[in-house]
Amino acid sequence: MKLLSPRAFYYILGKKGFFQYLLFAGFLIFFYLPLMNLCMLAFADKYEVPAIIPQEFGFKWWGFVLEQRSLVSSISVSFFLAIIVTFVSLAVCIPAAYALARYEFFGKRIFLLSFLLSNAYPRMGLYISIGILFYKLGLMGTLAGVVIIHFLNSMMFMTWIPSGAFRSVYRQQEESARDAGAGPIRTFFKVTLPLATPGIAVASVFTFLSSLEEAQGTLLVGFPQIKTMPVELYGVIMEYPLTAGPVLSLILIIPTVLVLFFMRKYINADSLSGGYGVK
Amino acid sequence: MMKEKVFGKIFPYLLILPSLVILAGVVFYPIAASLLRSFELEEGGLGLDNYLYFFTDKIQRDNIIYTLQVVMITVLLAVGVSYFLALYLRFSNTWTSRLIGRLYLLPRFIPGLVAVNGMITVIRDSGLINRISRLFGLEIKLGLMYNSKGIILMNLWFNIPFATMLLAAALSKIQNSSIEAARDSGAGKLQILRTMILPLTYRDIFITATFVFMSNLGSFTTPYLMGGNNPQMLGISLYSQFNNGHYERAAALSVIMFLLSLLSAVVYVYTNMKKSEWEKGNG
Repeated sequence: MKLLSPRAFYYILGKKGFFQYLLFAGFLIFFYLPLMNLCMLAFADKYEVPAIIPQEFGFKWWGFVLEQRSLVSSISVSFFLAIIVTFVSLAVCIPAAYALARYEFFGKRIFLLSFLLSNAYPRMGLYISIGILFYKLGLMGTLAGVVIIHFLNSMMFMTWIPSGAFRSVYRQQEESARDAGAGPIRTFFKVTLPLATPGIAVASVFTFLSSLEEAQGTLLVGFPQIKTMPVELYGVIMEYPLTAGPVLSLILIIPTVLVLFFMRKYINADSLSGGYGVK
Repeated sequence: MMKEKVFGKIFPYLLILPSLVILAGVVFYPIAASLLRSFELEEGGLGLDNYLYFFTDKIQRDNIIYTLQVVMITVLLAVGVSYFLALYLRFSNTWTSRLIGRLYLLPRFIPGLVAVNGMITVIRDSGLINRISRLFGLEIKLGLMYNSKGIILMNLWFNIPFATMLLAAALSKIQNSSIEAARDSGAGKLQILRTMILPLTYRDIFITATFVFMSNLGSFTTPYLMGGNNPQMLGISLYSQFNNGHYERAAALSVIMFLLSLLSAVVYVYTNMKKSEWEKGNG
């Protein structure tokens, strides 16, 4: 026990090492303890004060969650929606990203700043106003309406990150393809696009994940016809915060963690920051 | 030849057209519509009453002040801690810094609702920390729920990874060689930080602060689940105005929040403009 005392630790590691461990421990506790606790509680059948580790482990609440038809269908709705949103954003934003990277045109700056505008206006206020518009257009409670809302959230980084990727493709490479006789369209698809793929992939992952977790807008525009996982989670957390909440939370994190794990090579501070105009 | 030139002029507009149409439909038009609505009075006619309400009603005024306080504290703490963390990630090459570098991005992608729920299981009065403290015969009640401290804590959870990401990207642009050169000429660590690293990253610090400010001013999930009833964060207050059918007041509050965000965005735009001038100068 004596070895574990902070003082002994301090002397073994030295000042620098000690503070590094302290920082690391603080980091882990602050950011990962809540998630770890949630994972543990997802398998708790009985968890009463003052137990730290649940008195009984089991799958009681998993059964409860999976029995509810609406919850299971919300999982497939969420994934279906996220895939559609990703493709729609690719189709709309990639051309714009290319234009921003390669052309100088009147109004470019204003176009860039208008993305900021959508971020500066309070989300809730924007959703309410969009809701009123959708109501007139008959888009309330439709898939199209929800896709538009999700798309709106990812528009900025879906344009800015790929735009940075296009900018870093050397013009000379495109020119040499043109010199070899390739047309502009072929050059784009055979040279420019493949070179910009990592950036585009990062932006797509970002879009996919943010669509997966969007709740507020979906709740306002799509409810009750379109129920995604996070929307259901809102309801569950209100009703069963400590029992079914962790189970649904875990179901919601798993895809995020998997996607991040497989994309870890591409996802880093440098690639993501382009979406906010830092790089 | 002439035709090609005209096409070259139009082509970029064709590329941005789909984005522009969507921006017009779901950003410009709704904002303009709610701007108009904010001047419409509930009893008919036009006027500033909806705005005045938020500055004359004591509860509403308190909400605005409270929100600004929470957001300012969040910005200062998040940017400060993140800058330190980003420096550590950039200049320390130990296994702890590498591991943190691997792990710190995950929270950015965790659904807000999940993170808040997780934090609540730890910090509530019968949560994990309380239960652990009982092992040692203590009865620690953090008292972080339903007040500003809990909201700030949760804001930090969301924003430190985000701010660290932006700042780490900014710091990665600084060449090792230039720092070594400064060190060779006898500059101490603090001096290098103050005279070299900080000035090189001022712009990025402002950008980061702007985004943190904007995203927290209208935040909803965290105060909805962790905040108290009085005073309320503006995101909640907006939601309840809407829920009670005060669409005009909700619109006015949105505009007020928008103006507050714009104040911080001005800094961002200004620093961005400067950057482009610099880019132009270097061709």
